[in-house]
Amino acid sequence: MTDSFGFRSLHPFTILLYYAGGITFGMLLFHPLILLAGWAAAVVVNLHLDGGREWRRWTVPMAVGCLLILLMNPILSHRGRTVLYYFGDMPITLESVVYGMTLALSMLNLLTLFITYRLVMSEQKFLFLFSRLSPKAALVAMMALGMVPRLRRRLQELMLIQRSRGITVTEGSLAQRARNGTRIVGTLLSWTLEDALQTADSMQARGYGTGRRSGYAGFRFRSRDMWTVSALTACAVLLLGVWASGYGFMKVYPNLGSFRLITGDQVALAGYITYLLLPLGWEWRDRKSWRTLKYKM
Amino acid sequence: MAHFKIQNVTFTYPEERLPALSDVSLSVAPGEFVVLCGPSGSGKSTLLRLLKREVSPGGRMSGSILLNDSPLHEWTSREAAAMVGLVMQNPDNQLVVDTVEHELAFGMENFGLDRDVMRRRMAEMAGFFGLEPLLGRRTDELSGGQKQTVNLAAVLMLQPRVLLLDEPLAQLDPLAARELLAMIKRLNDEWGISVIMCEHRLDDLLPLADRVVRLDCGRIVFDGKPRDFAAEAWNRNDADWISALPSITRWAIEQGPQAFVEPPISVKEARLWLHKRGNPTQYAREHSNSTVEPTRHGEPLLSADQIFFAYDKHSPAVLRGVDWQIRRGDWGVLFGGNGSGKSTLLQLLAGIRMPQRGSVKWGKAPLSRKHSKEQIGAIGYLAQSPVLHYAHDTLLEDLKHAANRAGIQDAEQEARAMADRFGIAHLLTRHPHDMSGGEQQIGALAMILLAKPQMLLLDEPTKGLDPQAKKRLATYLKNIHTQGTTILMATHDVEFAAAYANRCSLLFHGEIVADGEPEPFFRGEFVLHHTYAPAAERTC
Repeated sequence: MTDSFGFRSLHPFTILLYYAGGITFGMLLFHPLILLAGWAAAVVVNLHLDGGREWRRWTVPMAVGCLLILLMNPILSHRGRTVLYYFGDMPITLESVVYGMTLALSMLNLLTLFITYRLVMSEQKFLFLFSRLSPKAALVAMMALGMVPRLRRRLQELMLIQRSRGITVTEGSLAQRARNGTRIVGTLLSWTLEDALQTADSMQARGYGTGRRSGYAGFRFRSRDMWTVSALTACAVLLLGVWASGYGFMKVYPNLGSFRLITGDQVALAGYITYLLLPLGWEWRDRKSWRTLKYKM
Repeated sequence: MAHFKIQNVTFTYPEERLPALSDVSLSVAPGEFVVLCGPSGSGKSTLLRLLKREVSPGGRMSGSILLNDSPLHEWTSREAAAMVGLVMQNPDNQLVVDTVEHELAFGMENFGLDRDVMRRRMAEMAGFFGLEPLLGRRTDELSGGQKQTVNLAAVLMLQPRVLLLDEPLAQLDPLAARELLAMIKRLNDEWGISVIMCEHRLDDLLPLADRVVRLDCGRIVFDGKPRDFAAEAWNRNDADWISALPSITRWAIEQGPQAFVEPPISVKEARLWLHKRGNPTQYAREHSNSTVEPTRHGEPLLSADQIFFAYDKHSPAVLRGVDWQIRRGDWGVLFGGNGSGKSTLLQLLAGIRMPQRGSVKWGKAPLSRKHSKEQIGAIGYLAQSPVLHYAHDTLLEDLKHAANRAGIQDAEQEARAMADRFGIAHLLTRHPHDMSGGEQQIGALAMILLAKPQMLLLDEPTKGLDPQAKKRLATYLKNIHTQGTTILMATHDVEFAAAYANRCSLLFHGEIVADGEPEPFFRGEFVLHHTYAPAAERTC
């Protein structure tokens, strides 16, 4: 799916709001079951956006991170009344194990959601938001983006030719290689700076710095953004209300409470899941239109 | 409508004694197409930059420059920037941001235009230049010609009335150069934009221009119609003037003064003129000026044996089974369109890249088995951008490094001797990046020759050189060749090739499709004949 359909078709501002809320609630709510459900929802979002390809690429780092938290928390924190086991003279408590588990879930939840951020918030959308904050900084970011491939290509060319002159980082003693390496990078930089003067001329020639700048990249705030923002806000208000009245937590310390979800927690769970899955509504809607089209043809 | 009036301008760079421009007066009418020519260092670039306030060099200036009757420095910065557009030589360095669409919008953003206005202009300009399919592309993926087209379009987004062009064609291959030139001519014809253009090569330019202005040592020495310029050059009989003429005009001039009343300045005119005089082919054949005897039976020195090469696993092969020999004593020229793999083939032959299939052989042994020390004594390779060959702070150090590597005992003395031989002794303490393109090229050539290679590979050695620099390069290469070095160069410059080479080959679609002595080679190829018409006309 391209930028014109589904979740990706939303305005950068809407997307930013979604992720800001998603991350905030992922941290505020602290109940293993709610977080587990949230994680499942984030996975569903991933699956919808690219069939979970990007998510699978991150599986190992995420698993390692969670495992670390899962292990470290009981070792470092000895709060809690129910001692499960003595590791030497170190008590491992049930409470800190559960706390670690919840923390790991919370992190997993945020990371999984953040992977979709990279899919939905394209470079252009990000720069659009950024240029609202600071047009100059956005321009610098854009120039840097243009510069990276140019530098990389030049370095390759330079290394190829310099190797034929015996200036290379693949032969000779370590000291020699280091010297050659700095020589090549130095040449690359002075060459690039020299050229940057021409780039500066080209910018000046096109009136850079003659006054207020405007931004070309445009995203229209459409009715579907309006709907999404309203629905997200409604969910957020509900969630904040529930959270402020003390629901959506599980009591862990000093002694473990019940896993059972009481009514308030259930509302928090429902609100959170709805919030996370909301933008997928557009994904479903747009897919359906393709199906309908196919039947007609 | 805008016009420039330059009155008695004298300009001196800081810390220079002699002025770069002295007492220059020139007036450019609205909608005029003016070509500024002259040897390197004649002040044509300085003059052009003085007309664009934002990039004017610092220094002392007397006299005045009026744009629409008010002094240039009195214009508000926004109006001045919008009124006069500038496109420079290097296609890469003028690009500021990452994608084509952003690049085109950049100037309009600087002017704080509304998004609606920007979109409308973008639509108009992209349509005119046929850039729509490129809008979403990253600028670094484009070809040189496309980049320069984007640069031109980006400047035009501000709707300038005067377009200043500082050698915009120098870095382009002939085909891309012609396309860009046609675009510039259309802008001049249809939109009435005044064009002031600096260029060394007047080949395609002379028939298009309304006026030619020649500068020499900071003074205007000619200002008039293109045809008069050709006649003036002939009357003066000065090599510098004549070398600036289109090759077809030069050829006609060489036929003798009685041959024409008005010198032809385009191929079409020359054809008509020949037609009037009788059989053109017979006439031309007498005049073939290939000076070197071909080597038909020399032993193969360097050979490509069924070479296949691709840049990565997923991209299509650039070379598809090249089977080719270069014999001792050859001065070979490799032709081929953009992206036909000329540069790649040279790099493979030089041993700095390895083919995925097939092998390169030096004599009878595969090149890859040779030690790198032996290789540099055998093959010298000069890259398309000579700046790549430098890695030290002065030319002397780079030469010394090259001499050391070649195993020369007294490196410094040898380096200095080499510099003397190539007439670059005065540049020895200069930083390589401060030298001009032509100087960098000669310097890099000197570095390579310190190793006394038996074979010299050159990748587009004449690109961006003015006629004088080209002539110098040719003299050096001729010397080297006479001393027994085999030369192979990839080029678009048919004229240069025809004058010196004794063997021509054409690379197409990853294979060598034509190979032979220059005369039959050029006569047989209908397409080449047309692509490179003026020069080919001259030789066959």
